[in-house]
Amino acid sequence: MNDEKRDVGQGGSDVLGPTYEAGKPDAPDDWRKKLRSREEMLGYLKTACRYWYSDDWYGSERRKTRA
Amino acid sequence: MADEKRKSIDPAVLTLVEKAAADEVMLCWDRLDEQSPQCGYGIAGVCCRNCAMGPCQINPFGDAPQKGVCGVDAETIAARNFLRSIAAGAAAHSDHARAVVEAFIRTADGEIPGFEIKDEQKLLSLAMDLGVSIEGKDTAAVAKEVGKTLREQFGRQDGELAFIAKAPIKRQELWRAQGIVPRGIDREIVECMHRTHIGVDQDYKNLMKQASRTALADGWGGSMIATELQDVLFGNPVPIVGSVNLGILEPDQVNIIVHGHEPLLSEMVVAASRDKELLALAKEKGAAGINIGGICCTANEILMRHGIPVAGNFLQQEVAVVSGAVDAMIVDVQCTLQSLTDVAGCYHTALITTNPKARFFGARHLEFDEANPLVAAREIVTIAVENFPNRKRKVVIPTDNKTDMVAGFSHETINYILGGLFRGSYRPLNDNIINGRIRGIAGVVGCNNAKVTHDEHHVTLVKELIANDVLVLQTGCSAVACAKEGLLVPEAATRYAGPGLAEVCEAVGMPPVLHMGSCVDNSRILMAATAVVKEGGLGDDISDLPCAGAAPEWMSEKALSIGHYFVASGIFTVFGVTWPTLGAKHLTEYLFSGIEEELGGKWAFETDPVKTARLMIDHIDQKRHKLGIDKARERVLYDMEKRRELET
Ligand code: SF4
Repeated sequence: MNDEKRDVGQGGSDVLGPTYEAGKPDAPDDWRKKLRSREEMLGYLKTACRYWYSDDWYGSERRKTRA
Repeated sequence: MADEKRKSIDPAVLTLVEKAAADEVMLCWDRLDEQSPQCGYGIAGVCCRNCAMGPCQINPFGDAPQKGVCGVDAETIAARNFLRSIAAGAAAHSDHARAVVEAFIRTADGEIPGFEIKDEQKLLSLAMDLGVSIEGKDTAAVAKEVGKTLREQFGRQDGELAFIAKAPIKRQELWRAQGIVPRGIDREIVECMHRTHIGVDQDYKNLMKQASRTALADGWGGSMIATELQDVLFGNPVPIVGSVNLGILEPDQVNIIVHGHEPLLSEMVVAASRDKELLALAKEKGAAGINIGGICCTANEILMRHGIPVAGNFLQQEVAVVSGAVDAMIVDVQCTLQSLTDVAGCYHTALITTNPKARFFGARHLEFDEANPLVAAREIVTIAVENFPNRKRKVVIPTDNKTDMVAGFSHETINYILGGLFRGSYRPLNDNIINGRIRGIAGVVGCNNAKVTHDEHHVTLVKELIANDVLVLQTGCSAVACAKEGLLVPEAATRYAGPGLAEVCEAVGMPPVLHMGSCVDNSRILMAATAVVKEGGLGDDISDLPCAGAAPEWMSEKALSIGHYFVASGIFTVFGVTWPTLGAKHLTEYLFSGIEEELGGKWAFETDPVKTARLMIDHIDQKRHKLGIDKARERVLYDMEKRRELET
């Protein structure tokens, strides 16, 4: 059924279909364990969670007061 | 409800409703029949019993009486009732939060064996939110200060709640301009009770201002505090596979159902169920093991963090017991039916209350001692194990009714999934909304209500939304309803989603419907919406986003509080089943329209889930138009024919 789908938003490009592996994972993907030290955690907060924690990057609000 | 099939779309429920009838056990649908027809004044919201000159009722059709003995009109009565409901809902979420804060501080002090600060990263983010210095402090010291600062949020008398600063800047400015920034959580709730006393606030618009301030004290206060601290204590949720529905009950194992809302005890019950001694005792009693299942929000909490299966949502609590296979049901607070004592009495189920705030006459009470939660949990599991040989009636487990699901999409995890560890970002989501693959975002949340077919409105609405390329975020009983239908797995994108949404989900490997947690975790939806705003390209405020909210089967006062903090945060929000102010024309018009000028969000009421989807999609399209990202697109109507086609 998938290849019959048309991406109306993009004017009709074919949809690729699932790109992930079939089956069930044995364990949750606990990505937070990849950040081990306090420095790594703070670094992640300032970059990935920049919406709230970056000193110099505030997304749509970058020219405004810090949230 | 004459037609038994109209009680639920869930075959597991229908099987057990039939068994209940055979066993002569009364369920909530039977009690609804007994209560019908219900009081029209109550339904219209124009009955007042706030003083002893009443109760007074206003004729909603214009005939006398139009005033209560004290002189108030329908607008004031309905507004006061609405505000009191919001106060109760906000109180429920916030008192849950207070219990979490207290446990959190005691954990930081090392006073609760078995509890620990599990998610240091989340703790650090909270320290930054609250301005708590982390320099030279170990985790416990940071946690103590974070806990104490958050405890102060309840009793503050002035200023602003701390998490208000996490909202988009424009939204904060709007709240300040409207004078609705909450000062302290308890203060706002107390003020609701004062203002609704006879002879105080008699201007429905002014009463609704306090409704907004109180609801915000829930969403950006109590609920958010509960979510954030539970994450620190038990871990920020990450995607996890689980299974859902009453088929998770095991015929040859001790079945324990944890039901309610606070995850403090249930975490320990999960730990105790893995205890070697208790497993040995279970064997001795003839059971093959100990099986834990959850109902209501407790289920969502332990599912997200341990993959513990979900037995069902709100309207499944009685039928779970009717299976005859539940050896103990443990309840804490909120949404637990008093009738459980009657139903449990017809079978062998041990009903155990655990919270001093919520005791049931006729149930066994085992207080959850925070100083030693594992002791209480072991005792509970022991009661269940020893009860296993006492199954006295026929056991019926709808074994075919068990579905896979993926849960655990915190807003932090969505950020990670979209961007990875080094480029965590909402940018891909924003880009796909801008380019039209994703039409918009919907939060579909809330309860079940015996007045409508169980789960039908959740499932129909969500299928309709995803077929139209709307990404759906879910919490609570609504998430459980859609999980049972198979909508919370990545494969659902191929099967049910529109082509644009399917393409994005397939590329990322995520379901088109994201389970974000329990009812207090609706605060995660606020944070996800804020991240989308702050990422840029879709306006400056939540009210600019192509998004909408709905609770199609709502019933609790908590749902009203959630709905109103969605509205006060700038979100168009549609409720189904019934609307509590219909007897007050001006108040209702204000909530459905006028309030939008002040808050950027508004309410709507629609009982048909397909029409609800239409309202939400139209709103999303209007927002897309305003943002200049609209394109001519065909709306897919998910009619019966198409549904049947998909089923085959
Ligand atoms: S407060 Fe007014 S409307 Fe309400 S019961 Fe008393 S007299 Fe009647």
